[in-house]
Amino acid sequence: MDTKPLVELDGVSKRYGAVAAVDGLDLTIDAGEFVAIMGPSGCGKTTTIKMLAGLETPSAGEIRLAGRRVNDLPVWERDTPLVWQSLALFPFLTVLENVEFGLRMRGVDRTGRRRRALSWLDRLGLAEFAGRNVADLSGGQRQRVALARSLVTEPPVLLLDEPLSALDAHLSVRMQAELKRLQREIGITFVYITHSHSEAFTMADRVVIMNKGRVEQIGAPKDIFLRPASRFVARFLGGNNLFAGRVARMERDGAVVTTADGSFRVARAAAAGVRVGDAVDLNVRSDRISLTQQTGWSGNEVHCRLVSEEFVGALVNLHLETAAGTEIVAQLQQRDLEMLDLSPGTGFVASWHPEDGHLIVPEAPQPLALAAE
Amino acid sequence: MTKGPLALPVRLRRALYGALWAAPMPAWQLVFFAAPFALLTALSFWSVRNFRLVPDVSTAAWDWLLTTDYVRDTLLRTLAYAGGAAVLVTLLAFPAALAIAFVLRPRARAAVLALLVVPFFTSYLVRVYSWQTFLADNGIVNAVLRPLGLEVAGMLNSPFAMMVGYATLCLPLVVILQSMSLLAIDRTLIHAAHNLRCGPLRTVGAVIVPAARPGIVVGAVFAFILCFGDFVTPLYLGGGKHPTLAILIADTVKAGQQWPRAAVVALVMMAVLLTTALAALSFAYRRRGS
Ligand SMILES: Nc1ncnc2c1ncn2[C@@H]1O[C@H](COP(=O)(O)OP(=O)(O)OP(=O)(O)O)[C@@H](O)[C@H]1O
Ligand SMILES: [Mg+2]
Repeated sequence: MDTKPLVELDGVSKRYGAVAAVDGLDLTIDAGEFVAIMGPSGCGKTTTIKMLAGLETPSAGEIRLAGRRVNDLPVWERDTPLVWQSLALFPFLTVLENVEFGLRMRGVDRTGRRRRALSWLDRLGLAEFAGRNVADLSGGQRQRVALARSLVTEPPVLLLDEPLSALDAHLSVRMQAELKRLQREIGITFVYITHSHSEAFTMADRVVIMNKGRVEQIGAPKDIFLRPASRFVARFLGGNNLFAGRVARMERDGAVVTTADGSFRVARAAAAGVRVGDAVDLNVRSDRISLTQQTGWSGNEVHCRLVSEEFVGALVNLHLETAAGTEIVAQLQQRDLEMLDLSPGTGFVASWHPEDGHLIVPEAPQPLALAAE
Repeated sequence: MTKGPLALPVRLRRALYGALWAAPMPAWQLVFFAAPFALLTALSFWSVRNFRLVPDVSTAAWDWLLTTDYVRDTLLRTLAYAGGAAVLVTLLAFPAALAIAFVLRPRARAAVLALLVVPFFTSYLVRVYSWQTFLADNGIVNAVLRPLGLEVAGMLNSPFAMMVGYATLCLPLVVILQSMSLLAIDRTLIHAAHNLRCGPLRTVGAVIVPAARPGIVVGAVFAFILCFGDFVTPLYLGGGKHPTLAILIADTVKAGQQWPRAAVVALVMMAVLLTTALAALSFAYRRRGS
């Protein structure tokens, strides 16, 4: 068995003049993994994937594919097909000819490439469209042609740049399931860029969150969701409430954090590794916050006033503000609201269990830009 | 809003508005194409008596066209020259257009495209005349080659000289047309081809030419049309030894006022051009797949 990781990025940077699109990126991907890359617009996702494909050359660092340094290997000698956001299907070729293209370039004979292309078209439910002009297909069908075109050569790794962003929500959800199933069946590594949390969290084995050309956090979807490693990740994922503070004391069953909104307890597990005096951010997911109209409950509590409510289907986000000016979002079930008075300005007590708090330890100096975020 | 007495149904108003904008084009066609065309057709059936043109319904000119060998030979020669020039110019222009579209940076590209317009500032006749001084046996080219012992006799008044003249006529235009169509290619298609292991040279044939096919064919059609009807190059660089249909028209008129014959030749030329252009354009815009 080959134990080497399939894809390695080692301190990779890409500068355009003074701008660093990618800035010292480290990432290792194993064979058969489904890795999703997320991050705000302009954070360097496309640049990263283009360097993997060889469409951009890194300014610094090393890229290895199956252990081999490929920094200077031209695109057309790599085996890293890319599914383009714009699909980039060849309009002057039929569906079948588009799918055959990669095989033709490898010198596969006519009957062999026809057979392989048709079997992929069949697998993706496109057999009846083989002779069509690509312009005469629906968005979802074209999407599948692009996938077939990239997969027909059975590459070790497939790169995908926001492949579903042009599809409507319904179709996108269906394609997500199809993609995940396909990836499992053929065991090809997927490096998948997306803007959509649901795409990343439902499909990926690991999620990479990028910010300004750097990795903010890498982890399993659940870990990232439950334990964002930085203020940035917590904000980027949304649905998190942050209280900036300091560790005041350690107790037998956890720690006490003092913030502008009062002192809060966190459980032992969350307080592992922090010491008294450390600056920390206490993070509580909005769905873990309970609202009552009178105090007296035993957990962590803070008084706040209702600012607005936001209806999101079965759930409702209540936006509140504490006396110290901290914004709190509480996510509640529609039916839990029936007992509450929801006129703006109403006072509430927001509370949560110590086990539901999670501490983020800021890295050395906090980047200024976070304030502007 | 109240309806005035002049209020027309919306659809009719729209149609009238559209017709107003569209009117100049058919009007122009009527005055400068349909009317002369009708006149030419009528003229082809007139006869010539005592060097005088007489209105008539005679098929003499058409009989002459169908039965005279040198008319047929001239038609074939003109087709061969114009077709050859179109192919040659297309091939010569392509590397230049490729460099303009894919090698040059935007500012250099703009400068080169502007320079390609400069030849149109001087008359084509003047440019062809100056080729005579270059290509003549005692001309500039031989003056340079003679000391090297490479003297070439008989360059002028040869098919070679005619191709030089035709290139002078249409090469800049074809380079511009091809460059425009290459520039319009979506660059991600080229990157996608590279990404599927298509090397740079192979990409030219596999992606760039098919993607730019309409522009390349339109350029060739323009070259064909311009060369097919050209009178200057066959006269001054072909030396009248290789007469084309344009020369034939001039000759029939000069020799004995044979206007009906000239009209017949002109009609044949129009028919050839129309057929070629339509066939080429339908090839250029042909779509793949059902
Ligand atoms: N060819 C280029 N020249 C100069 N700057 C570039 C170039 N390509 C990308 N950049 C810059 O690099 C940064 C990262 O771009 P990139 O396309 O990788 O972002 P992205 O994460 O894919 O964003 P999006 O989510 O909007 O697609 C951006 O600030 C962009 O402006
Ligand atoms: Mg992008």
